[in-house]
Amino acid sequence: MSTTTTSYAAGPAGVSKHAESPLPTTATVPSRIPGERPRTGVTFARLVHVELRKMLDTRAGRWLVIGIGAVIATALVILFFNNGGQHSFEDYLQATTMPQAIILPVVGILAVTSEWSQRTGLVTFGLEPRRGRVAWAKLVAALLVGVGALVLSFVLAVVAHQAAITFRGIEGDWSIAGLTLLGASLYVLLGLAQGVGFGMLFKNTPAAVVVYFVLPTAWSILGSLVSWVGDVGRWLDLNRTMQPLFEGSLTTEQWARLGTSVGLWVVLPLAVGIWRLTRAEVK
Amino acid sequence: MITVERLTKRYGPFTAVDDVSFEVKPGLVTGFLGPNGAGKSTAMRVMAGLTPATSGTATVLGRPYGHLPNPGRHVGVLLDASAQHAGRTGREVLTLGAILMGVDRRRVDEMIELVGLTDKEASRRVRNYSLGMRQRLGIAHALLGDPEVLILDEPANGLDPAGIRWMRDLLRGYANEGGTVLLSSHLLNEIERVADEIIVIGHGRIVAQGTKEELLAGAGTIVRSTDDERLLAALAADSVVATRAATGGLQVEAEPLTVGRIAAAHDIVLYELRGGDSRGLEEMFLELTAGAAREAVAA
Repeated sequence: MSTTTTSYAAGPAGVSKHAESPLPTTATVPSRIPGERPRTGVTFARLVHVELRKMLDTRAGRWLVIGIGAVIATALVILFFNNGGQHSFEDYLQATTMPQAIILPVVGILAVTSEWSQRTGLVTFGLEPRRGRVAWAKLVAALLVGVGALVLSFVLAVVAHQAAITFRGIEGDWSIAGLTLLGASLYVLLGLAQGVGFGMLFKNTPAAVVVYFVLPTAWSILGSLVSWVGDVGRWLDLNRTMQPLFEGSLTTEQWARLGTSVGLWVVLPLAVGIWRLTRAEVK
Repeated sequence: MITVERLTKRYGPFTAVDDVSFEVKPGLVTGFLGPNGAGKSTAMRVMAGLTPATSGTATVLGRPYGHLPNPGRHVGVLLDASAQHAGRTGREVLTLGAILMGVDRRRVDEMIELVGLTDKEASRRVRNYSLGMRQRLGIAHALLGDPEVLILDEPANGLDPAGIRWMRDLLRGYANEGGTVLLSSHLLNEIERVADEIIVIGHGRIVAQGTKEELLAGAGTIVRSTDDERLLAALAADSVVATRAATGGLQVEAEPLTVGRIAAAHDIVLYELRGGDSRGLEEMFLELTAGAAREAVAA
């Protein structure tokens, strides 16, 4: 480029009203990436990697994780000092798992709704037009976050319980029922899956969050007032059908109830949500 | 290479894109020109597989966009520079793209440098970017996968004159190496400075398309006289087609010399007489889009 270009380009950019760096004085065409352009699609592993990263790389995502950490820490500190720290391992595990079960679904919701509210869907579905794969990648990434959170809460509960034994001299109680562990895991993972499903269903953060948190409560209140709703609730109220998991054993009918409620609140929203997602116009 | 055939997109009773066909050729910069709401963005979203067409087809590199394997490595798309998560940094936006497309992370730094963002700016969150910086980030993202085709919606929005010049040089160089470029704008001036071929769209319909030279030639002659009424009649008597221009004066489908001779023969005083230059194209643009607007109202 000639020097005239340089002086021309430097002028207006230099007096730009935004405090931003000027464009390069000459435009360079980007270098070629060596080799042929790919003939194979985006691998599912890369999609999951990106979705996982997207859940944690924004300020909102990071604060959610920090918030969960803070709640768990508070819960453990209270347990540690309350009643001389005399609680079973199961109590400690519950203290670390419960906050996650409540807050993590929001991560699942945001993973989907931010594509619409922040309009990143234009890029996401532009880079992978097979939107069903993106949806599955989001679900898998959300479940991976859940598994990571569960492992962390298990470790934290072990550390806290051991600390209570060592430093507060309590009698340790490490006993834990297999079903309780399964119950706690399901509670966290199903919540996340439900969050992803609700996110896809509503495509709108406030709507998905409000419905996710209000619906079960409204259902319970209604169930206690109207008897037939209560009867139906035994099959469809996820909070009630999961209860036996924490009590130690499930009958065949209780398993069936659990399956029915999971079908209604987790599988159905996901199925309808993915169907909607693949057909929606991305703007 | 982009091929659009008989593309129509309706939203209920409203037709956003109406039976549109065109081709965007490699090695050229094609400008997609039309006023706001003319259907440019809708057509581009259909090309990028984000909006389903009501009827007709759009293919990129011979296939529907949705059938391209790893499309980011074939087609660079920038539909809205503001459509980025406000809480992510510019560098993070590009890093996510690089992971998804499977390109080397070093490419991220290359692209940041290419669009002239500093390290500090790249580490800022998009929330704090000006529109011009978002456009630069969007262009960096579109070029990240070393694509053969670029689809850019209003990429010059928010750029200053130096920025528009920079973009022209960039796209020119890119097309010279065999790339296909389609960029849209509602400003004739921008398109005129950047594009080789121009497609003019108004109210969902294509109202003109061709090379810039063809469209300029088609603009004929602009003439202003002290008595346009008499000049119009004199031209008609010589079977020269003329119409009143939207901006005043007459738009004549003949060479300036012919028009001048006719005016002289009838002793009509001219105070402006010029061939189809850029202002002619501008008048044509206004005229054509206004015409499409009238048709739409009539229909």
